[in-house]
Amino acid sequence: MAENADAQRAKPKSIGSELIIPVAALFFTLYYFYTIIDAPWTAQVAAFIVGSILILLVVLILIKSVRSLGTGEGTLDFSNLVKPKAYVPKRLSLLALTIAYIFIVPSLGFTITTFLFLSLAMLILSDWRKKRFIISLSATLSLGGYLLFIVAFKTRFPAGPFETFMKGFL
Amino acid sequence: MNYDNEFDPGLSRRDILKGSMAVAGAAAATSFPFSNAFAAGFPDRNLKVYVPTREGGGADRLLRSITGVWKNKLGVNFEPSFFPGAAGRVGYEKYMGLAKDDMYELLFGNMGPEVLNWVVKKPTFDLSTFQYFAQVDSDPGIIFVSRRSKFKTIDDLVAEGKKRTLNVGVSRLAHPATLGALALGKHTGAKFNPIPLSGGKNTRAGVATGEMDFGALPSGGIVNRAKSFKVLLMFSHKNPLPGRSENAPTMNDHFKTNMPSLIAGSRAFGIKKSAKAKHPDRFKKLDDTLKTVFTDPAFKKAYAKTKSPWEFVGYRSAAQAKEYADNIARIGAEFKELLSGKKS
Amino acid sequence: MELDYDLAFFGEMFARTFSFWWVILPSIFLGLIVGAIPGFSAANTIIILLPLTLAMDPETGLMFMVGLYASSRMGAGIPAILVNIPGTAGAAATPLDGYPMTKQGRGQQALAMSFVASIAGGLLTTVIALVSLPWLSQIAFYLHSVEMIVIMFFGISLIATIAAKDTLKGLIAGFFGLMIGFIGTDVVYETPRGTFGFLELYDKVPLIPALVGLFAISEAFAIIENQSILTERGKAAMAKPGWAATFEGARIAASRWWHITWNSLIGLVIGVVPGAGAAIASFVAYQQSKTYSKTPELYGTGHIEGLIAPESANNGVTSGTLVPLLVIGIPGGATAAIMLVVLQFHGVTVGPDLFLTSPELAFGPFTAMAVTYTLMILTVLPLARYMSNITVVSTVYMAPIIISFTLVGSFVPRAYLFDMNLALVFGVIGYVARKTGYHVAAILIGVILGPLMETYFLRAMKMSQGDIMVLFSSNIGNTLWVLLVVSMALPYIMDHRRGKSEKIAANDPYG
Repeated sequence: MAENADAQRAKPKSIGSELIIPVAALFFTLYYFYTIIDAPWTAQVAAFIVGSILILLVVLILIKSVRSLGTGEGTLDFSNLVKPKAYVPKRLSLLALTIAYIFIVPSLGFTITTFLFLSLAMLILSDWRKKRFIISLSATLSLGGYLLFIVAFKTRFPAGPFETFMKGFL
Repeated sequence: MNYDNEFDPGLSRRDILKGSMAVAGAAAATSFPFSNAFAAGFPDRNLKVYVPTREGGGADRLLRSITGVWKNKLGVNFEPSFFPGAAGRVGYEKYMGLAKDDMYELLFGNMGPEVLNWVVKKPTFDLSTFQYFAQVDSDPGIIFVSRRSKFKTIDDLVAEGKKRTLNVGVSRLAHPATLGALALGKHTGAKFNPIPLSGGKNTRAGVATGEMDFGALPSGGIVNRAKSFKVLLMFSHKNPLPGRSENAPTMNDHFKTNMPSLIAGSRAFGIKKSAKAKHPDRFKKLDDTLKTVFTDPAFKKAYAKTKSPWEFVGYRSAAQAKEYADNIARIGAEFKELLSGKKS
Repeated sequence: MELDYDLAFFGEMFARTFSFWWVILPSIFLGLIVGAIPGFSAANTIIILLPLTLAMDPETGLMFMVGLYASSRMGAGIPAILVNIPGTAGAAATPLDGYPMTKQGRGQQALAMSFVASIAGGLLTTVIALVSLPWLSQIAFYLHSVEMIVIMFFGISLIATIAAKDTLKGLIAGFFGLMIGFIGTDVVYETPRGTFGFLELYDKVPLIPALVGLFAISEAFAIIENQSILTERGKAAMAKPGWAATFEGARIAASRWWHITWNSLIGLVIGVVPGAGAAIASFVAYQQSKTYSKTPELYGTGHIEGLIAPESANNGVTSGTLVPLLVIGIPGGATAAIMLVVLQFHGVTVGPDLFLTSPELAFGPFTAMAVTYTLMILTVLPLARYMSNITVVSTVYMAPIIISFTLVGSFVPRAYLFDMNLALVFGVIGYVARKTGYHVAAILIGVILGPLMETYFLRAMKMSQGDIMVLFSSNIGNTLWVLLVVSMALPYIMDHRRGKSEKIAANDPYG
């Protein structure tokens, strides 16, 4: 992977961010073990085998990391995750919009929410250029999505004002 | 979504869409924000049905055929929403958590496996606030083998089970048909080891491919595959399908036992008790109209399309449903250790 | 089962099937679309279109369903190659080498290769299935839980294969995926495990939200830092549109005919086993392809065999799942199960007798599949050129579109809003994994195969009443174990030998 190759070239290696996945895996495995402590053997056997190996692997990578910290080959920072820094605001906005999408879709319905999400996200990513093009593209896509997902495929997506209104015409 | 004869091949898809949309539109337009205190005005909007299984399954098909006729008697449509998952648990918890007690929201479940669910693991809601009010089908649990099996009768099977432990494919452990197999083993002294295969489809596959010695399931999915499978025993008071099961004996007849029927397919409508207490008149209207569905020839015609035996359907009252659920819960408690893997 | 194999009869069957072109053509295009959108699949599309399917007579309905099924399998590979998002779990191994090709500007060529591999693999296995029905249908009688455990290990060992660059990280990703795959109730006593209290997770982590999150959402967040998903060289390559790349791709794929044959047969055999499926088949095929390759180090960089292997295997599965359905009435997969429901609705009882009572229905699915694949040569292959244009779309537009449409996809299979949240959680995991050098494909393999392996393992253990030696109790199983050990050890042995010869030969950095 390209990102990986970049990360490896940078010296000293920023290993802080590389420990997120192992540490998350460790905590999840411990939580999982906690939920099966007094379960029947069938619930435990596979998880205990795989989980123990996973813990062993995580311990190995932690040891490796501590060593490289000691020799100064690595530093405990998280810059890998946010690199390139210039894109941090855009990325955070996109994340916020995605979360908003999931929370708003039950009340506003697929079509309106998708339109708002697409146009806002594209405008932010394009630094508010090509406004007219983006608005019409978003409108086309959300209407297309409405026709495909809701009219043709009848997915049970939450209906909003637009879907309820259109129902009267079909 | 509405069930406007979606299964009637006589109508074109366009007709169906138009029809259902028109009904939905009209219903939306006439819906009235205030609840009418008299059953005379009930129902004045569509009824919502929570189904704790997936769309397109057996419960869905049965519900379609019932509501397709029932809606004409009530003058409103039914809107099912499906909450599959966790062996019905999701659907029940959604219903108990979300449904209002105005008699407009019902549950359509499969009593046997779901009652056993609560035996194995307590639900998050108070069971005493919920009741089944009408059981609409009863499909007995059976013991069956593949046509290639060396077992030709239940006696062959029991005799072998006394020599070695036989693996019996079941849909899940907490299932009435599994209880039947366990009860048979307990009564005869044969050793049966139930292997849960997650669903009827996988169970049939397990038995057909010879990995399982035999299987225990509801009869419906087996009698219509008579070329592949043979029914050896039924867990009901009498064999409802003698012709389609080569006159398979019942457990009570053959082994002189006195077991309650282990009805494996036992779909029923359920309701919050508070809804019934608040609106006894509405409840009566629903219950009374539902009864008439089963005598309506239109229902028989619609049901025929599900390909399930007609002998299974019929209205059973709240009291009968309760008796059945209590029986299943009692036998389930007897085998609790085997079903949950834990010492109780 | 006695079948009357008469050439004239088959000729008649094919001619008859061709007369249904008006059903098959639309179903091909519909299949491509639903296959390409994560969350939609042939199975749930057939359910959605049940009113339509049931209204057709059984033969027409069957042609429609088979056309949809075969083409959706191919459709799933398109976004996998072009934007690194597999349309279904069956295409999860496709982006490993397909997407790197796209980045290099070889999207059109990669699509053409994948189409040819899919069509050739599908066509070949369909014909093989047709002539060897009586024997093939026996496979299900021999591959039981124990044998399936070993087959799962073939798939899981792909984690180690993918992890070749950084073994420790790769293994952590894979085992983390396996643990995530164990979320949900155990298959025997239904004890909830690691569910964080969510009932929605009792039936295991739903695959589509996991796939959408790990591949699509994380990809969308990652690509916005570049103007385009293409490398500079890739952009230059895309600037020269034309048919040449399609012909070149088709030619290259055709020249690997032996590879296609071998991997589509793996797919066919795995497809015949009820409950296995396209995901396992494509992982196993990729793993096998790499193990026996002379250039294993090129896999993952846009290697031709790395794309051809999973695509020919997952199309082999398609014809495989029909075999047990028609011969013993046991569907080999979800789509086959729904076909069974439709056939039953029309009063058609599936089983050995069907071949005598209504041969047009019994052989129909296979001839329909063969005709579908044949028609796809003419209709789908030329589209590669136009489809690949999507890769030049700026990420400014691509990222938001990917997010919104795949979120819808994650909702569709179960209609739970919860699943959209889940997709976002997997998106965050996937993003962190990508940015810090953990392979998302390794996580996904774990999530897909973990629960399957556990299911077969527990079943075998429950059947043997806890005797672990059951794992070595069958001859076929033991043969598979030996093959597994060989295929795991072979790369190291080859490396060792190559290491010796490379010391002598001059070292070419590109392999």
